[in-house]
Amino acid sequence: MNLETTRRDLLKGLTLGAGATLLTPILTQLAAHAAAAPSAVRKRVIFVVQSNGIKPEHLMPTGIARPRHGRPTNAKTEEASLKDHTLHRALEPLAAFKDRLTLLHGLSGRIALSDHSGNHGALGAYPANKGPMGQTIDLALSEALPGVVPHIGLGLAERPDMTMNYQISASARGKTVPIQCSPELAFKGLFGSVARGSGREAFDRRTNLLDFMAEDVKRARGALAGEERAKLDQYLEAFEALRDRQGRIEAIRDKLVANVPDLSDKFKKPTETNRLQAQFDLTAASLIAGLTNVVTLVSGGGGQHYISFPELGIPVGGHHYGHGGGVEGKTAEDCFITVRQYHARLIAGLAKKLQAVKEGDGTMLDNTLIVYLSDSGDGHHPTGYEWPMLLLGDLGGTLKTRGRFLQLPAYGQKDHRTTANLYATLLHAAGKPRDTFGVADPGLRDLDQSGVVNELLA
Amino acid sequence: MTRLVIVAWLACSGLVMAQGLPFVQAHCVKCHGPDKAAGGVRLDDLPADPARASARWLAVRDQVRDGLMPPAKEPRLEAAKRRELVHWITLATGATPARLPNQGNQLPHELLFGKPTVPATVASTPPRERIWRLSPSGYLGLVRDLARGNPQGIVQPFGLIEERGIRDFAGLYTIDEPTTEILLRNAETIVEMQLKSVRELRLAAEAENPTPAQLTTAIQAQYRLAINRTPSDDEVKRFLSLYEKCRKGGSSAGAVRTMLQAVLLKTDTLFRSERGGKADASGRAMLTPEELAIALSLTLRDQRDPSLLQAASKGQLSSRDQVATHVQRLLDDPKIAKPRLLGFFREYFGYDQAVNVFKDKPKEFTHAPQQLVADTDALVLHVLAEDKDVFRTLLTTDRSFVNYALAVNKQKGRILEPKQAVQPPRAGKNQKPPAALEATYGLDAWTPKQPVTLAKDTRLGILMQPAWLVAWSTNFDNDPVRRGRWVRERLLGGNVPDLPIGVVAQVPDEPHEPFRHRLRVTRAASCWKCHNKMDELGLPFEQFDHFGRFRTTETVLDPEATRKNVDKKGKPLGMVYREVALDTAGAIRDSGDDKLDGPVADPRVMVRRIADSERARQVFIRHAFRYFLGRNETLSDALALQAADAAYVKSGGSFKALVVALLTSDAFLYRSRQGEAK
Repeated sequence: MNLETTRRDLLKGLTLGAGATLLTPILTQLAAHAAAAPSAVRKRVIFVVQSNGIKPEHLMPTGIARPRHGRPTNAKTEEASLKDHTLHRALEPLAAFKDRLTLLHGLSGRIALSDHSGNHGALGAYPANKGPMGQTIDLALSEALPGVVPHIGLGLAERPDMTMNYQISASARGKTVPIQCSPELAFKGLFGSVARGSGREAFDRRTNLLDFMAEDVKRARGALAGEERAKLDQYLEAFEALRDRQGRIEAIRDKLVANVPDLSDKFKKPTETNRLQAQFDLTAASLIAGLTNVVTLVSGGGGQHYISFPELGIPVGGHHYGHGGGVEGKTAEDCFITVRQYHARLIAGLAKKLQAVKEGDGTMLDNTLIVYLSDSGDGHHPTGYEWPMLLLGDLGGTLKTRGRFLQLPAYGQKDHRTTANLYATLLHAAGKPRDTFGVADPGLRDLDQSGVVNELLA
Repeated sequence: MTRLVIVAWLACSGLVMAQGLPFVQAHCVKCHGPDKAAGGVRLDDLPADPARASARWLAVRDQVRDGLMPPAKEPRLEAAKRRELVHWITLATGATPARLPNQGNQLPHELLFGKPTVPATVASTPPRERIWRLSPSGYLGLVRDLARGNPQGIVQPFGLIEERGIRDFAGLYTIDEPTTEILLRNAETIVEMQLKSVRELRLAAEAENPTPAQLTTAIQAQYRLAINRTPSDDEVKRFLSLYEKCRKGGSSAGAVRTMLQAVLLKTDTLFRSERGGKADASGRAMLTPEELAIALSLTLRDQRDPSLLQAASKGQLSSRDQVATHVQRLLDDPKIAKPRLLGFFREYFGYDQAVNVFKDKPKEFTHAPQQLVADTDALVLHVLAEDKDVFRTLLTTDRSFVNYALAVNKQKGRILEPKQAVQPPRAGKNQKPPAALEATYGLDAWTPKQPVTLAKDTRLGILMQPAWLVAWSTNFDNDPVRRGRWVRERLLGGNVPDLPIGVVAQVPDEPHEPFRHRLRVTRAASCWKCHNKMDELGLPFEQFDHFGRFRTTETVLDPEATRKNVDKKGKPLGMVYREVALDTAGAIRDSGDDKLDGPVADPRVMVRRIADSERARQVFIRHAFRYFLGRNETLSDALALQAADAAYVKSGGSFKALVVALLTSDAFLYRSRQGEAK
């Protein structure tokens, strides 16, 4: 389903008026449900993408060793229950959620191999350095799990003035979706209508402005033809989509008011930790308020964008310890662990907030999946043969992720699976099944690379 | 594109001997036919008219042009025959311009600069009308013009594609949803600032109940600032109605602001309009004076130029001569900043990317990429100021700016004086201080008298500026492949196929070997097909290390000595290096210019030979065309390109003359109005 076409078709018949704002969200939900799974249970997925790679060792349970040299070569899936093991100290903050998570090993991502970040290929399962070749998994899931806002991308860049990261997510071939790295701008965009002050009036003026601009661009467009006209088609659709969203935000106003986060302290002191924490807070608030069902959180990410965390005692960027350099008495490994623990703490905090909200017979966390990975596979200079991931939550019981260590068959083995297979699995679980994703790895030419990771699908 | 005209002309002209189908049948079908479809490709079923299957015919063309076919085991095609086929297919498929900036060379050079190869009507058909979204710097210039200053909190909404080289092509950019969100927020910020400095706007916003006249005045003022024209009555009516709607639900102050923000979001504000005024009988329409004022402003500067706006309002941009006069005036006026001129050289050479190449901090010398870029900027500006034989000088000058900056000397009455930009670093205790930045250029000491003449037989031109060498290097090594590709594309007008999917292009990690040796992996048959176009053009730059320092030997790891370098307890004491002989030889092959082809002993020989080449000069001009016109050249631009080349040569190599020629060409000034069949 092409979301844009559907939206425009819906909008064609609507006029301004109080009725329109109430009608639109219902119509949209109906259309979305018609295309998606029949289940009415809300599901949500959060991707936490951290730069600088994830060393497989950090995702190993204690007591299970990796081979001394090279990588695992198992032909069959090996697994263990996490009941009898503890997590690596890099993941210590997630200990309380051990029984809800899976340490997933053995997926390869060679198609997205690059000297550093896999860029869009990390979430897209395609080559790293040809720009956005297609839709990334987060945007694909946003079509399967539509919300008021289809997708929210929040991130942390090296400096506060770097507001957008264009190297991780894409909605279609050639169409990169920016990750908003300014928590202040993100806050304004998501909660501006209910923020303290003249939010309401401003919200209505915005609605009028969007209507006006849609009309204005339509006129300008009428005078052009062909490719030139198509340029304005996109600009027109932008206004129409934003206008449509106004109505849907209106419908959940009460929930927004109840969940608007207070980030004033973090805005005042925009350290790296405050900025990233603010983004996690916004993620939790947006999910709980029902603004969206898919969030991509990016720490660094793309190209050679690495973060320094002076607040954690690591004043150098990830490139430094990625190359084995230590700082202030800490080894490179110390730096990696400290930073990973910090991210684990943030993920645990997010999970905790979702767990505190009742939903159906359980909590929001029961219907959530958090995918923790790096855009750079298994290291600063990735090999691509392994792309370690942590999955927290079982997406309403559609995935089998409770308390497992999974070592899938190694690269080149008959039953080997890639990141593309995982992404197909997620789409199955979300109700929009697909068996292929991204671009096949030519190094696995003899393997049927379609299909899911059966070990994970319930 | 009048493809029909070309095809008919081809059929009538004598150019039938290179006709595609007999060629394909003779050379290709035996491996790509019904019995044996090598690589899954069949060519026996190609239609005789290339326009009927242009994608397939163009694929044939590209394979032949790039020497990928026939395969190595088959007899080679003569260069001339290859060229003929390439030309024939290009013409017969209608020569649609390639969309992406780095595809412009797909249009064969000889078709643009050779003797007339296309009918005159085609060669002078202006391009279709278009709109061109502001570039990121153009947007910032607009904001500065609107707000009469630099407002805080403006977020850059526009980006450019992640590509090397010239990136702002009109056909590539529009505005999508996330960008629109940023534009909306920016509009709020800009209007807030405008209310402080623009009287008509402030009056309307501050009045408790502004009259329609006050509102209309404000709308007109905003139109003048943003779009440089007066709104029609209908337009004013619609804005007033927007005001009314907002007023109903809130304050007048808010409603006025929203009304003013709307003007800043109009397509006329954010896209450059190039549609032309009244068309003549043959459908040619010159850009209107208003359009020209904006187009010329944004071509040379990143903001509206007041003198051009004024000229337009007085009707003084209505003829080619008038445009020439104004362009010349702007170019000659040192008080008018023209950042886009330097911008061309930065994008063309790519040396400004030096700051994006991460390198470990060297212990024994200074690496300051921002200053290296600044030095090369200074050199380019210096050559542009002299404006003589610009292309040759940029490639072969033995002068350079070294660690150079201008600073105000307050004691001497606030005049600008040269100063050593990056101070030599201080020494640690008991340590030898690292060499200063000037050492990278081979200088023992910094001098205020600049530009400096560099040591003989070391460094010439932009391609041996440390900034360029660093920009085209990797974290730890030189990058002869990408440097070679640069030369192939930007000086020889050639094409290099993209890296095939699934190929991991990595040189083996052998720090004990010279880089040339490590690069031997590209000699494998499947790699050499493409690498033969690049490697030998980039290897001469092995004359320099990856920080851009001149060398006569190459430093490699000495594994034996390193192994032996231990203390009494056997603890390793560090790596030991040795010097090996340096080989700077390379070759120019298959450039399309016989005078260019041949081996080169070192980079200086190479750049001197290229600087003398007419073809290279013309390739340079093709790139200037792309930058200033925001698109790839087509066959219809052949005459404009030839005229620009002639103007450049006639003026003794003046870049200004080249710019005037490009900006007064039909390609820049005229648009076609009748719908073109293609």
